[in-house]
Amino acid sequence: MNVRSVAVDRVVDRFPAVRRIWTARAVGHRLLPLAIPLIVLIAWQCAASLRLLPVQILPPPLLVATTAIDLIRGGEIVDGLRVSLWRIGIGFAIGAGSGLVLGALLGLSRTVEAYCGLTFRLLAQIPSLGWLPILLLIFGLDETLKFVLIAKASFVPTVIATSESVKQIPAPFREVARVLQLPARSYLRRLVLPATIPGIFSGLRTALSHAWIALIVVEMLAATEGVGYTMVWGRTLFQIDIVIVGMVVIGLIGLAMDTGLARIEQRLQHWEARP
Amino acid sequence: MTEFTELAIRHVTKSYVVDETPLPVLQDVSLSVLPGEFVSIVGASGCGKSTLLRLIVGLDDVYRGEILLGGTQVSGPGADRGIVFQDHRLFPWLTLTENITLALDAFPLPAEEKAQRVRDAIALVGLSGFERARPAQLSGGMAQRAAIARALVRRPAILLLDEPLGALDSLNRTRLQDALLDIWEAQRTTVIMVTHDVEEAVYLSTRIVVMEPRPGRIRSVIPVELAARDRAAPDFVALKQRVLADLRH
Repeated sequence: MNVRSVAVDRVVDRFPAVRRIWTARAVGHRLLPLAIPLIVLIAWQCAASLRLLPVQILPPPLLVATTAIDLIRGGEIVDGLRVSLWRIGIGFAIGAGSGLVLGALLGLSRTVEAYCGLTFRLLAQIPSLGWLPILLLIFGLDETLKFVLIAKASFVPTVIATSESVKQIPAPFREVARVLQLPARSYLRRLVLPATIPGIFSGLRTALSHAWIALIVVEMLAATEGVGYTMVWGRTLFQIDIVIVGMVVIGLIGLAMDTGLARIEQRLQHWEARP
Repeated sequence: MTEFTELAIRHVTKSYVVDETPLPVLQDVSLSVLPGEFVSIVGASGCGKSTLLRLIVGLDDVYRGEILLGGTQVSGPGADRGIVFQDHRLFPWLTLTENITLALDAFPLPAEEKAQRVRDAIALVGLSGFERARPAQLSGGMAQRAAIARALVRRPAILLLDEPLGALDSLNRTRLQDALLDIWEAQRTTVIMVTHDVEEAVYLSTRIVVMEPRPGRIRSVIPVELAARDRAAPDFVALKQRVLADLRH
């Protein structure tokens, strides 16, 4: 049958990455993202060497690196991170988990949308940190405050992304599901879930970065431990090098979490056609 | 498969409401299709031929008149009717086998029998060997074959085809036309196909329904009685001319 001959070359190789050849050019290409950080680092070193700003305001990179090593050895960074990651873990699990449920309900049911849509959109307009004064009065400096705030920060983007992705499931696919009389369970598992994964994951990534920002800010304003607190502590000591170490740690951890989610997304979307 | 299920469309009238004014799409359409027939519906765009298929398959329940299958009013989608759309509409995240198995999800059959039926359907459309391919890895013609298999695996009494070959190039088109004929002859399913290719209608059908637009009505029903399926034969050409003349009317 000639259909087969047409098709054999179309059934693409499933592991193209394995066969990629590591040429010098390919390696060079992978280093490109590091160019800008390197330039910034050089500029920073130059500015520090030329004493454009006093050392107290702009410490040289080497001093910051030494401080970083000291802080890691002394345990300040690790302890701070442990507290911060624990907070974001709990808060994000609560916020994103409930956000997925409400988002799915808003997307699937017109009744839920009618009851909750307006209230949700209204509450979503208030920035997470706008809740801080009142939450501080209710929960004090307790851990609950951080959990609630992080949960709220991750809840809103998750709900929006989830409900929008559910609503945007292509009508032709919904029609197929109707014609095939798919039971509710298969409808969710075979259509809703795979069709919404990309949208939901981009929402989760936004949610996680919002949560991370909210956490650092609340730690700077109302906490006695955590990465944000370490930075404030550095500032009160007028040790800007500690503040800069904190900034770098926040950036790197945030990037790591985002990359982690992106990896999970890729795994779940293994069906995506590769060219 | 249900034998002797006649499809009776009686005085079906349907309008869409656009900007609060009703826009008639189908006006008093009546048609009976006997088991085993291959009926093609041709007509200019806007004649409501696709709408008619949507009503038959049960995707749209808002109309006046009756659509009876084996004497019972059609309501909502059912196992007795299958449809293939112009776009294959296979789920991109499922393999060929998974896509076709999904069509049996609502069927209370043992897993083994489902697997056998899926294999049979895949073989019937000539896709054996591609069970694990995903839609993006199939060519347009193969994806359309897969969509046909997905409809056939449910063994519907009536197979509805909504311009199933409309998006294919002419070579694939001719090939799939012959595949459709083989399937129809092997399965003895009733087929109702919407197309705007008159030659395709003459080549495949036992009857051709010519519709006219605004509002959609049946202009004529032409039986196809040819000595052979030969596109160059005089009677084939004459019949094609007759259908075209009716279309231009």
